[in-house]
Amino acid sequence: MQILLQLIASGIAVGMIYAAIAFGYQLTFATSKTLNFGQGEALMLGALVGLTLTSVMGYWAMIPLVLLFGFVQGAVVERLGVRPSIKIKSEFGWIMATIALGIIFKNLAEIVWGREALPFPSPLPSDAYVIGEVRILPVELLIVVGALAMMLAVEFFNRRSIWGKAVRATANDRDAAGLMGIDTSRIITLSYAVSSMTAALAGVLVAPRITAIDANMGAVLGLKAFAVAIIGGLESGLGVIVGGILLGVAETTTGYYISTGYKDVPGLVLLLLVLMVKPSGLFGKATIKKV
Amino acid sequence: MNRLLATVAAAAVLGLASGAWAQETIKIGVSGPFTGGSSSMGVSMRDGVRLAADEINAAGGVMGKKIELVERDEQAKNEVGVQVAQELINKEKVVATVGYINTGVALASQRFYQEAQIPVLNNVATGTQITKQFEPPESKNNYVFRFSANDTIQSAMIVDEAIGRSHFKKPAILADSTNYGQLGRADLEAALAKKGVKAVAVEKFNIGDTDMTPQLLRAKEGGADVVLTYGIGPELAQIANGMAKLGWKVPLVGSWTLSMASFIDTAGPNGDGARMPQTFIEDPTTPKRKAFIDAYHKKFGGDKMPSPVSAAQGYDSLYVLKAAMEQAKSTDGPKVREALENLNAKVEGVVQTYDKPFSAKDHEAVSYSVPVFGIVKAGRVVYANEEDKKNPVRAKQGAGGVAPQ
Repeated sequence: MQILLQLIASGIAVGMIYAAIAFGYQLTFATSKTLNFGQGEALMLGALVGLTLTSVMGYWAMIPLVLLFGFVQGAVVERLGVRPSIKIKSEFGWIMATIALGIIFKNLAEIVWGREALPFPSPLPSDAYVIGEVRILPVELLIVVGALAMMLAVEFFNRRSIWGKAVRATANDRDAAGLMGIDTSRIITLSYAVSSMTAALAGVLVAPRITAIDANMGAVLGLKAFAVAIIGGLESGLGVIVGGILLGVAETTTGYYISTGYKDVPGLVLLLLVLMVKPSGLFGKATIKKV
Repeated sequence: MNRLLATVAAAAVLGLASGAWAQETIKIGVSGPFTGGSSSMGVSMRDGVRLAADEINAAGGVMGKKIELVERDEQAKNEVGVQVAQELINKEKVVATVGYINTGVALASQRFYQEAQIPVLNNVATGTQITKQFEPPESKNNYVFRFSANDTIQSAMIVDEAIGRSHFKKPAILADSTNYGQLGRADLEAALAKKGVKAVAVEKFNIGDTDMTPQLLRAKEGGADVVLTYGIGPELAQIANGMAKLGWKVPLVGSWTLSMASFIDTAGPNGDGARMPQTFIEDPTTPKRKAFIDAYHKKFGGDKMPSPVSAAQGYDSLYVLKAAMEQAKSTDGPKVREALENLNAKVEGVVQTYDKPFSAKDHEAVSYSVPVFGIVKAGRVVYANEEDKKNPVRAKQGAGGVAPQ
């Protein structure tokens, strides 16, 4: 029992990383039905910018600046990669464009920070907390708390602020929102900016856990988060949290109870099952697309 | 017509002149990853080679000619390694190449040297297959030589240390899912079987894995009293950090990658006590080693080599190559190869004294008697056993690259 609890705790810590990135996919999908396939690279950039700033001002003080950086970076991605293809109503242009921008960001990062893995100093003590008989690292707790706080903040913004209401209106029906006087293309830029901001924050949250970061750190995480977004449903904030935890726990428990060689298999099986049974995701609403 | 003649004549003179100028130096290729994940080893190796080249040139060069190093970064990528090999052979016309950190890159690249009959002196990569790729009788002559302790030696040493010397009974094996890790795991299991021991857990992890909880819990629940590793720096650090997280401390004994800076720096205090085979430890136990260590830091700064083993093997490989060229009185590939295989001069290196390091059949300079165990202590690798420190001079005994029966 103690082992199962330990596996679940570690799985949740891993899963919340996936969830935090998947949350960003969900944000842009809601408003524009497009995704930023460079989400993993946004996370990597956030972590590397955070590392540089940490050496100047310390871990906690650099977080607002990293958020700002992510915000701007996301807006740039939208302007360069997504807006042109939305304008011409291209179905696939944004896929190529966001992937291409991701590659460009990765190469830029290699030029700026080099190809070495750089150690990321931990802002918290490295001794594990012992809760019952389950051991959790402070940096793992930081990921869980930080990711949840970020998602709550974004949800709160969407529900309470006037800008958030515009975001929700755009998500519900872009054409109608436009007729009501909402500048929907600005709202889409905003959703991309917030989406990259969450990814950048996820980057500085996971960096102390990964301990050594480089320009490639976003690749695997971005892909797994994409699976989480599909499992949980691209329409639902709760879905990505459940999906993330499901995938994280599936990985650790399979590793222990079946074989560490098959650790990645249940995630893929889960993905296939969800796609077969409920293609819109566990928490997604089935929508009919009218052509 | 006159004009054409003049042009041709000028071109011929220029060609002769540049040909004559090229004769002034001896071009030697240096191929390794100088950027990326294994760059600490690549850069240390290159610096070791540079140091040796500078010393040799200051002392008059080889046969009156200066050594010119042609350094190329192959980024630990097979395809870039192949391009570099072709460039060094066909464009730069090197007489030999030293280098290779990654077994995959070595295996992909060295066939071009084999075909061009140019010796390759592998000075860091450890894959057992490296020197066996072009062995007689399939190939007439083998142009591939090695200065590192191969994986057969290392896995046997790891098991000897853990089971033989330290009397652990229940080893767990943690290896990454790459060729390096999985071939090493197979070697470890075979070496354990020879001792009549079976691992209580054999676990796998991927490059980039950040959570080792399931692997470590399986090893812990299996009752492991020692963890044997075959992986590279960052993930090895995750193992050490994961053990600290679970509050489970058993010794780590593993391949030489436990001496990588990315392990030692990332694991910090959690990495203390990890043990691994080393051909060279940064400790001035002989005058020759002291001179080498001092000269290295004088030239490249710092007080700690990023990878002392790579630096030492790189340094030695160039001196052995020099001795072979002098014996052959030529830089011609087949003659240098023959000289390497029948080296008369004793070369005092920093790893060992090279006394007939190679033969036609044996292209491994390191035998089981050469490496010692290093242990991580406060961010550095030091001698694990006092008696090794007291008998620092190593020499090849018997065949290279094989485990004792």
